Amino acid sequence: MRRVVVTGLGAVSPFGAGVKAFWTGIATGSCAIRPITLIETDGFRCQIAAEVPDGIAGSHRRSRADRLALTAAREALEDAGLSHDDRLETALIVGAVGGGMLEAETWHWRRRERAARGHASIGALRSILPSSHAETLGTRLRLGGPRETLVTACSSGAASLAVAAELIADGIVDVALAGGADALTRICFMGFNALKLLDPAPCRPFDRDRKGMSIGEGAAFLVLEEATRARARGVRSYAELAGAGMTTDAFHVTAPHPDGDGMARAMRAALARGGVAPSDVGYVNAHGTATLQNDRIEAGALRAVFGEGRVLVSSTKSMIGHTMAAAGSLEALATVLALAHGVVPPTAQHDHTDPDVPFDCVPRVARETAVGHAISNSFGFGGQNVTLLFRAGA
Amino acid sequence: MSVRHRVVITGLGAVTAVVTGGAEAVTRAIAAAIPADGERIDRTLAQLVDGAEARRLSRVSQLTLAAGRLALDDAGLASASAPMLGIVLGTELGDLRSTIAFADGFLSRGPAGLSPLLFPNTVMNTMAAATAIAVSARDLSLTLNAPTVAGELAVIRAAGAVAAGRAAALLAGGVDELDPTVGTVLEEAGGRFAARGEGSAFVVLESLDSARARGARILGEILGAASAALPASPYGVGRGVSARVVARALAQAAVEPAALRAVYGGENGDARRDAWESRVLRHAVPRAPAGPSLARQFGQTSALGPLKVVAAAGAPPALVHGLARGGSEVALVIDAARPR
Amino acid sequence: MEAKEVLDELKGILVSRLKFDPSRVADLAMDTPLPKGVDGAIGLDSLDFIELSIAIEERFAVPMEESEDLVPHFASLATLSRFIAERAPAT
Repeated sequence: MRRVVVTGLGAVSPFGAGVKAFWTGIATGSCAIRPITLIETDGFRCQIAAEVPDGIAGSHRRSRADRLALTAAREALEDAGLSHDDRLETALIVGAVGGGMLEAETWHWRRRERAARGHASIGALRSILPSSHAETLGTRLRLGGPRETLVTACSSGAASLAVAAELIADGIVDVALAGGADALTRICFMGFNALKLLDPAPCRPFDRDRKGMSIGEGAAFLVLEEATRARARGVRSYAELAGAGMTTDAFHVTAPHPDGDGMARAMRAALARGGVAPSDVGYVNAHGTATLQNDRIEAGALRAVFGEGRVLVSSTKSMIGHTMAAAGSLEALATVLALAHGVVPPTAQHDHTDPDVPFDCVPRVARETAVGHAISNSFGFGGQNVTLLFRAGA
Repeated sequence: MSVRHRVVITGLGAVTAVVTGGAEAVTRAIAAAIPADGERIDRTLAQLVDGAEARRLSRVSQLTLAAGRLALDDAGLASASAPMLGIVLGTELGDLRSTIAFADGFLSRGPAGLSPLLFPNTVMNTMAAATAIAVSARDLSLTLNAPTVAGELAVIRAAGAVAAGRAAALLAGGVDELDPTVGTVLEEAGGRFAARGEGSAFVVLESLDSARARGARILGEILGAASAALPASPYGVGRGVSARVVARALAQAAVEPAALRAVYGGENGDARRDAWESRVLRHAVPRAPAGPSLARQFGQTSALGPLKVVAAAGAPPALVHGLARGGSEVALVIDAARPR
Repeated sequence: MEAKEVLDELKGILVSRLKFDPSRVADLAMDTPLPKGVDGAIGLDSLDFIELSIAIEERFAVPMEESEDLVPHFASLATLSRFIAERAPAT
């Protein structure tokens, strides 16, 4: 059986560029959710988000999301030490939602204000689609393997890792670069405001007094590799991607199924594929958006799968917000780093655990504890559930 | 999972400007080279999607849902005892119409003009999500976004899942909608080279064992498939040719190039891209005869992938091929489901 | 605001924002239930209700407090009209 290990990491997060900045931020329980600077917020109830700080590398003719993706992807490829020949056969699987929408919005806004056809920035419009990141990364980084963009709403980043791992396990490729990227967009900000799903203050996952989500932006890419090959070329592995589960609620376009059945099935499938019992799992990096519904339903599903109090649970979204297509991959990164460092990152803004959440949510302060297996949950709009299972010490 | 199941096609559903229906209707329409009728889709949708459902679905979601249902009917899978079902959907443009409408609501009337009903449609998985809800598909559901070959990529992704035993039955296909506003946007972006159409189509993929066990009619088998990316600039036309992708698909299928009875390629009116693909095919399978261009008949849409697969099943063994600007290349080898 | 006026506006919102067919809406009785799952209802779900409340806020300037349980007011066109007539600022 072909096993899949993680040999490269790259990230740009609301804590800045680089995996190191990301880990330092979340391990210290810092909150990067602040007043928005990138877009206009007048007239909206929530006016905060976790933005990536100024100074993102790359030409301004590229979309912001492209620059985030390229920066993170470059870091991951260098970290893995992939050669030019390796890259010719490396698969590229990208999770994306907004694509270059931020720049397209700017163009569309100006066009409407002037009530005339403004000069179209060809770059801005062509990069509007989610597939634009794969085009940019694939051609700039000369990646010649299978190239796919997955759009599964909030679980896109996780789905990309699951599909990439499958390509390796199935013997289609030996190496894959996979992950997600999303920049803040007006549509995302306005839409979640309109649905009344946002907390005007930084979000409080699993807290009794939570009031909704915070949004964020960023990118994270992982290099996944077939285990024997990685060992043969002497590269160190951060962890093994031991299994993944992907299910659908088929219930409602925005509301999760109240029983959390799809979530539980995704978790069970990931465990089954990895040959791991629930009691072997020490940590769950939750989807944990801090909406009233998600946290309650996710906690119910966790209880069904693991039993009350049997795993540590924390939400990285408390620190970096919901980074949309990047969420699944930034949070997978957090999970891999937790295993590698033996430190479970905390849930920030956590004061009183909701009684419906019978778990230790690692409030405010990271927990030093060696964990053998951990899972990362991403549950997207439209009931798109993805669970990734990681195993320490590959 | 080192098990490899054989992957067969047990149904087709299509809602297009040329024809609406299952495998038989589509095959006849291709053979008769029936031309596209611009109003067929809207007439069909009114019959296939009832008012209560249509109220909550954008047009492109209705298209997807209608084709999904036709495919399940064609495969004889429309009953409650059907195996756990999943969806893999490819699209190039998604629901851009809804995205523009959502933004325009704000630009016209401020925050009060935002429509919560429209918001979920601004994410491209909305069509697959709506279809999954309507047909109760609770296994995996993936949406792939790519230029030109999204439908073929979806079929390849789905075939891989069935082959590895990760899914029992999958709807695999593509959808794209033509909308005047979106068209304007694309034109201004200089991106309107291909002769575009609109429509949706799905094949139903299952393992051979599963199809036989329930006595399903088998249209053909996906013997091999491969995808990769040729060097090119983003959305650009490359210069290089390589037999790599086609060779991999043929090798997996254990079919010699000389045995191919037809090649179903792209040829969608984007002259430079068409020329590039011709060079690649001449290099990879020089003597294989070209099948009719479905892109010319149906217009360029992500629905072409499953349509080409079923057309290829009519001339087995045959090759389905696609090459997108930016270099993404796909190849599938389709045959009858023979004893092995 | 007159009750008849409120009702007409509500029916207009059902067409323009909730995408109901105008002929379907014209015949609606005052006591037709709204929420999905109720016999004879026009079948609005949670997302429909969010859309409806935004439209009501915009059209009638009636603020929707999140802390208040608004579900009983959304039971039918009759209850909704009454709610709006009571809360809309005097013009």
